[in-house]
Amino acid sequence: MKNKKQQFSELHYKFIRKLRIQTVVVHTIRILLLVGFLGIWELATATGALDPFIASSPSRVVTTFVDLIKNSNLLHHSWVTLYETILAFLISTGIGLALAIVLYMIPFVRRILEPYLVVLNSLPKIALGPLIIVWMGAGTKTIVAMGVLICVIITTINMLHGFCQIEDDKIMLMKTMGANKIQTFTRLVFPANIPSLISSLKINVGMAWVGVIMGEYLTSKAGLGYLIVYGGQVFKLDLVMTSIVVLCILAGLMYGIIALAEIYVNKKR
Amino acid sequence: MEKLLEISGVNLTYQSKTSETVALSDLDLEILDNEFVSIVGPSGCGKTTILSLVAGLLSPTKGEIVLNGEKVKGPTTRIGYMFQRDNLFEWLTIQKNVTLGLSLQKKKTQENIDYTNNLITKYGLGDFKKHTPKELSGGMRQRVALIRTLATRPELLLLDEPFSALDYQTRLLVQDDVYKIIKSENKSAILVTHDISEAIAMSDKVVILTQRPGKVKTIVNLNFNKTLTPFERRNQPEFMEYFNQIWKELQYEE
Ligand SMILES: Nc1ncnc2c1ncn2[C@@H]1O[C@H](COP(=O)(O)OP(=O)(O)O)[C@@H](O)[C@H]1O
Ligand SMILES: [Mg+2]
Repeated sequence: MKNKKQQFSELHYKFIRKLRIQTVVVHTIRILLLVGFLGIWELATATGALDPFIASSPSRVVTTFVDLIKNSNLLHHSWVTLYETILAFLISTGIGLALAIVLYMIPFVRRILEPYLVVLNSLPKIALGPLIIVWMGAGTKTIVAMGVLICVIITTINMLHGFCQIEDDKIMLMKTMGANKIQTFTRLVFPANIPSLISSLKINVGMAWVGVIMGEYLTSKAGLGYLIVYGGQVFKLDLVMTSIVVLCILAGLMYGIIALAEIYVNKKR
Repeated sequence: MEKLLEISGVNLTYQSKTSETVALSDLDLEILDNEFVSIVGPSGCGKTTILSLVAGLLSPTKGEIVLNGEKVKGPTTRIGYMFQRDNLFEWLTIQKNVTLGLSLQKKKTQENIDYTNNLITKYGLGDFKKHTPKELSGGMRQRVALIRTLATRPELLLLDEPFSALDYQTRLLVQDDVYKIIKSENKSAILVTHDISEAIAMSDKVVILTQRPGKVKTIVNLNFNKTLTPFERRNQPEFMEYFNQIWKELQYEE
């Protein structure tokens, strides 16, 4: 093997030290940037350069946050949105993947449906909002449906594209080894596309949030999207800011989970 | 010797929206048991097409192909196909790559597993069984690909320019390896190549094809001492004679 234990030269240690220092510098600047931004925001509102009523401020966000938690409804609203997002994420990934598999396995159907996929993909899904409200009623179903609509076509297109990228040689190889169509898919096409599945998941995490918040703007009685709309209407911008911050944190966490899953899968491969 | 493969009167025409390409016309070719045959010819003359037909991946427009007395219809596991690229699956270990064919054909018996494990060890890959293809050099990967092809014990091996992706030095080494493995496992093989010296170094006879539409132009029988390796053949005085002979045949084609 190439990477057996090796004696390194002084130069190598120097190189490694330089890399480490770079990493530390990058992280420090990153944190300073955030702290600086919050500091300037706070300072600007404290000195009156910015109107805290319009721009809110970090300290007001914290107070609102604590206040909302005490009055116990922030957790509830966050949970509602998180639940809707996870549902939309799972459903759209499932349907998108299933659709991609069907289209891949039956090229005839793929040929028929191709233009429809393209049109549906370029359609702004929010335009369908009123229809969905009428069909599914105002409530969770509609909100989840918005999330699903946003993710599902792009998942199908991305996965299908990945499936079709497999080299002809490999497909021929499977045939000469006696594989049937299903074996070719489960043993070659699908495993080769795990990375593109994960990148689809990463995109969907973000898109599901977009769809769900959009859905909540359209129709909702609870959720972070609801708080944001409500806060805007009654001019409680602290509430809007706080909800956005919570949204950022939740979306970041969910993305982080997928990224961890990716590392795990890459290690196993 | 017994006849292993008989290609008789084969035509193949590719159809596409804008054109019709006659790749092979009236091709006749016989291969005997335990024979190692090379096919050389100008690029685009239909060499890969011949292998696809023998493997049953294509059906001839006319004529027939008989393998061990049985007509080839549709993909058959009676042949083993090796490509220019090793096509190993990066997500499987070497061992799982090698037994892929067995597991697809539901033939993962203890006997067959022992047979492949034996091949892996015998041909110097024993320490890499649990490794992934990424960790292997190009030459080793091509050896794994050959063992994968042998695992299902095909009656005939089809090699489509299997060394052309390797650098020159590795290519010479892997030619020796592959030759040794094929001979000691008593296999018959068809090697497609555009490298004349490779054809002379490895085979019992060299089939020269005409320009497209391809048919057999000449067959050159090689009479080297059976004990020589491909590398040793290159130092024989006959080698240059064969080379010139085949070279001339191909020149008339240009
Ligand atoms: N799928 C295909 N459709 C149409 N023409 C093809 C196809 N495959 C090969 N051909 C044509 O058939 C001829 C022979 O191809 P091939 O057997 O790949 O040649 P070689 O392997 O000798 O270079 C070439 O002219 C090539 O362009
Ligand atoms: Mg070719």
